[in-house]
Parts: sequence; structure tokens; C-alpha cells
Amino acid sequence: MLDTGGDHACCDRCAGAGTAVRIARRRLLKAAVFRTADVRPADARPADVRPADARAADARASSTAGARAGATQGAAGLLPDRARARFATSGELPRAVTGEIIDVSPHFLVVSNGASQQRFALTPDATAWRGGALEPAALRPGDQVVVRLHKKARGVADRIWANIGRVTGTIVERTRDGLLVDEGTTRKRQFVTIPPRASGRIQVRFPSLEPGYLIDVIGLRRGGALEGLIPATSQPAYRVDQMPAPALVSGHVPDAISGSATWHEPADEPPGVLGVAYPALDPEVGCAEGPGPGVPGNARMPYLSIGSVLLVRNDCTGSSCALPVTSCAAVGRLFNDRCVTCGTSPRSRVADLTQASFVALGGELERGCFNATITIGG
Amino acid sequence: MQLSVVVREVQVPLLASLLLGGSAAKLVHMLRVRSVDAALGPTALFPVYLRRPAAMLICGCEFALGVGLILTAGRICRGVPTTAVRLGTALLFLVATCALIELRGTRPDIGCGCFGDFSTAPVSGRALARSALLAVAALSTVGLPPLQPPHRGVAAILPLGILAAELALVAVLSPEIGEALVRLGYSEPCELRTVPAERTVAALHRSSQWRRHAGLVSAAEPVDMWRELCWRYVVYPGELHGRPVELVFAVFLRQHRPAIQAALVDAATGNVLPWPGSVRPATEADRMRRLIRAPAPAFSAPTDPGLGIPAVPGVRGAGVR
Repeated sequence: MLDTGGDHACCDRCAGAGTAVRIARRRLLKAAVFRTADVRPADARPADVRPADARAADARASSTAGARAGATQGAAGLLPDRARARFATSGELPRAVTGEIIDVSPHFLVVSNGASQQRFALTPDATAWRGGALEPAALRPGDQVVVRLHKKARGVADRIWANIGRVTGTIVERTRDGLLVDEGTTRKRQFVTIPPRASGRIQVRFPSLEPGYLIDVIGLRRGGALEGLIPATSQPAYRVDQMPAPALVSGHVPDAISGSATWHEPADEPPGVLGVAYPALDPEVGCAEGPGPGVPGNARMPYLSIGSVLLVRNDCTGSSCALPVTSCAAVGRLFNDRCVTCGTSPRSRVADLTQASFVALGGELERGCFNATITIGG
Repeated sequence: MQLSVVVREVQVPLLASLLLGGSAAKLVHMLRVRSVDAALGPTALFPVYLRRPAAMLICGCEFALGVGLILTAGRICRGVPTTAVRLGTALLFLVATCALIELRGTRPDIGCGCFGDFSTAPVSGRALARSALLAVAALSTVGLPPLQPPHRGVAAILPLGILAAELALVAVLSPEIGEALVRLGYSEPCELRTVPAERTVAALHRSSQWRRHAGLVSAAEPVDMWRELCWRYVVYPGELHGRPVELVFAVFLRQHRPAIQAALVDAATGNVLPWPGSVRPATEADRMRRLIRAPAPAFSAPTDPGLGIPAVPGVRGAGVR
């Protein structure tokens, strides 16, 4: 088996412990400098970017969040109510729940997030995915699931994805067993196997499964590896080290930038966190931005930092939501692809959403992307 | 011809062209964003419902005064109309100077809007000096006899030289020149410019803001530093009357003499504190004034009632841009 440890070097910008504190603190300090009218530090409270499921549990039990959420709670960071209201919060956006199936039957589903259990009704309209469409009752206890709740009835599961995973990065090694993929300096290397039944489908979109080329596949998590089943995009024709220089920008970057919004699996982030990985974090702080020095990104996007706020709009559904930048999309910037979920988006990935954010904004995980427009604000 | 008369004569075409240029740039900006409501510098000082008429009034005044200066330059409309137009121009620039001083204090993050999209950089001393210079120039034209037809030959060198020198001075005082270079692609926009953190810290340490407040700082290194678009925020720990505080500096990412804003924040509560010995407590009238001036959301984001997603106020358009 290939070594997936790699040179994983997490840094100041990686999401995880302390990110919520940092986001809240930075927003407060920025507001203090520019005296924005909507911030009153006196009634400040922490920014809640903890997992939606943990926050929902909080709301019910009035207790502290669970073990996974613990990393980002207890913030000393401060954020006033009105500023916090800009973000989707537990009471407003509990549409994505992640956890492990404890029990399932044709009529209900019980999911555990480690600290608490949640029970959801299953209607005949509910659908599930585990490598392909299947009946929700066919899911098994132990499956890791992302559940999208019904728009109007929060106790009803609308869509369930089981054991879904995604690997996006540069192929660094190919063996008979599979591919070793580098997802950037801030994430661990991933091992991808491609079963014969999916090989043709993937190779149509990714003809060069060789070291140096990019790959982006969706599939099933099996242990520490991903069984690649669905190509999430088309492979760029160039190797990563031969990327074309980004187009020169004349004038300022527009306020709203359209492109493709993708999703990523939680690495250091708590699962279920609402946030976005942005492809152009300030390279001056912490670790290097991209997968390696000298590798330019495709899109020329304005530099931001952890804690900046993006208004992300799903152009396919019209849903929009303000999300904090919680991590860096180290590899997303290498892709110059379009999303064709509804029409054809402009080139480049403008946001790499967490699973929970992607699902909450109406995205279908197995499709890999939705056409999006981001507006920088906050 | 006396030098002083030539200098005064040169001001008329210069002021007229600047006024018409500013008016046209504002009009282009309004057409581009398809709204008269788009905040243009000092209009942000007005309550929301007055911003639209204020923007239209400013644009209209500039156009009218620009045309008026040209029409009254010669022998037509001599007397009161000429004096009224020139005094009006001087008054406009005087009011603009005062408005920019106010804007710099209350909304330091937005540009003067003098030339529409080109005036997005925060109001600096240069923009203030330019406005004051133009006010003086306009005042100097009051009482000037009708302009003579253009000189020819050697006699034209003097007025042309003065005009060129004054244009150069106005250019030096205009942050819009750098913006124009960005637009033309000769310079990288500040949002995309890679600026080393060390340079930002060095610029901060050279600034008057730093000299004024450095006494409160209790550590040599900042505890946090981050960047958002054209601003880099630097946070230093400090101490005020035995209380731990944080000094926050926002540094505009520009090569020379960047605009810098600062705030003092209580480290424990997050409350914004007045700078020691410099700030009086806000009166009720001050608070009301601040409420009236509170910037309105630039737009209301579409919401999804099914998802319960709230609208989001305060996007970039209302801030840095």
C-alpha cells in the first residue's frame, strides 16, 4: 500500500480547532476599525460555524456540543447577534446533517453524530445514494451519511448520501492497486482505487491517469481509500507543472464572480461545518497556498483570509447564503473547468464548499458542482 | 500681459474640464451599475433616502458649472452670471473639501467618488489638497475680465506652460491616475497584488498612526495579521490602565504612504475603546447623527424561505470598492 502520510503540513489557515474563534475575532476587529453600524460588541457572541448537527443538538438539549464540535466551541472570540445573523445558523439552516447510521427501517432513519442521536422520518419520496441510487431502507447501520432534510419538515429526510467521498488533486503515483493523489500542502494524500466497472466511465473524462495530471473523482469511502466511481469533471489537458499562465486582469475584479462551486470532504474540519474553502487566500500568511511553489492558479481571484465572508449563490436553485472562509482550496484553483449542472458556468472554481454547505445550498453531492456566483462581503 | 492674469485665465478651462470630466465619470458609473443610488463618495454621508437626490444634484451641479464656466468665459453673459458661476464653482469645491474631511473621519473605507469608478481609493491627504487647490483656483477667477482669444507663437508658451504645470500638479494629487493605469492593464489591481507582510508592517511602523499609538503596544510582534481585498489588518496586544487591549490597524495595500485606520479594542469584552486622552464620550446628538449616517445594506440578497436563509447586508460595494 502506498504511503498516504505524505508531507501533510497543516497550518494557521487550516480549519479546525480555533477557526470559529479566529473568524469571530477578525470580524469584530474589522468592524471596530471601520465602525460598521451593525456591530455592537457589547452583546457579542461566538460565531457559530460548528457542525449543523451539533448545533441542532445544542438547541434541543441546551447543552454543549458533542465531541467533534468541541474543537470549535467555547470561543473566546466575540460576535454580535446582528453580525452573526448574517450567517446561516442552526435555527435557520439545519438542512444538512452528517453522522453514522445507527438504525434504519423503511419508515425512519436514526443518525448519530457522536454526541447525540437524531431520528428522521422517511417518506416514499426520499431517495438515497451509495455508489448509485438505492432505497433508503437498503442503507446499513455503520454507513457514514450526509442527510438533506425536507425543506418544510425538518424531521423528514429528503435525500441521503452514504459513504460518499471525493478526491481532488494531482496524481503523484500510480500502481496496480490504484492512484496516490496529492490534495495540496494542507491535506493528507489520498489513495484512489478504480474498479473495472467504473474504469471506462472515468477514463473517458480522465484519459491521463498518470503522475503529474489532475484528477477529481467521486465515489465510496472504503477504509482509508476512495473507490472512484464518478468523474466529477473533465481532466485538464496539461500537467500541473505545465499550467498556462492565468489571463491578465484589466481593471478591478468585479464584485460578483461566477463560476463553479464544488464540495470537499472534511479533513481537519469538523464534519457538518458550514463554510467555504476559498482558492486565493493571502499567500503571505502561514503555509504556501497551492500544491507547490511556482504552481500558479488558473483563476485570478482577489486575496482573502480565514474569516472573510462570501455570499454564495446557487444559480441553479436561487438559494444563497453567507458563509465564512474556513480553509484554503489548495487544489481547486488548479482547475479551469466549467460546471454544467444548469447551463454552462464561466470557467474556474470560485468556491469549494464543505459538504454541509453544498447540500444546504441545494447541491447534489454526486454531481460534484453547481453553477455559482460569489460576492465578497462582510 | 501680467503673469497673475495669465495664471487666473488658465484656471477657467482647467476647472471646466475637470468639472465636466467628473460629471461624465459619475454618469458612466451610474449607467454601469444601472442605479443612481450607488454610493458615490460623500453621498454615503447622507441618509439612504437622500443619497439618490444628492448624487443627482452633485452630478448636475458639476455639469452645469462646467458648461457655465465655458459659456461665461468670453464676453457673453458678462457681469453677474459670470461671477455667480465662478463663485458657485468655488463654493462647490469648498463644500467638497469639507465633505471629504468628514468622509475621511466617518467612512474611511470608501473613496471620494470624484471621478466615479476611478475614485475608489480611500480619501487621502492628496485628494483633500486637490479639492482645496481647486477651490482656491476657482476663487481666483472671480472678477477676472473676459478671456482673450488664444495666443499664437511665443506668447502661447506662457499660458501653455502654466496649464501643463498645473495639470501635472493636479495629476500628482490625483489617486485616480493610479486607478486609470490599473484599468488600462498597466498595473495590477490591489486585490490581486502580492504585497509582503513585512512591507505592510514597515509601512505601518513609519506612519503617524503608529507613532501616535505605539506607546500602548506591549509586544514587538503582531498577534494576528490577515488580508481582505485591498486591506491588511494587523493586531498588536497592548495595555491601557492595566487592562489588556488590542490595537487594530487596517493598512491599505499601496506602495507609498498607504491609508491607515486604527481602533482600540478591549481584549476581554471586544468593546471599542476611545483612544486615551483624545476622544470625548459621544453625546446623544452624536449617537443620533451616527444612526442617521449608518450605511444601508448595498443590496438584499435573495433568500430561500424554505431553507430559512437570511438576506445578507453589507457587501463589498458598500465597503472597499
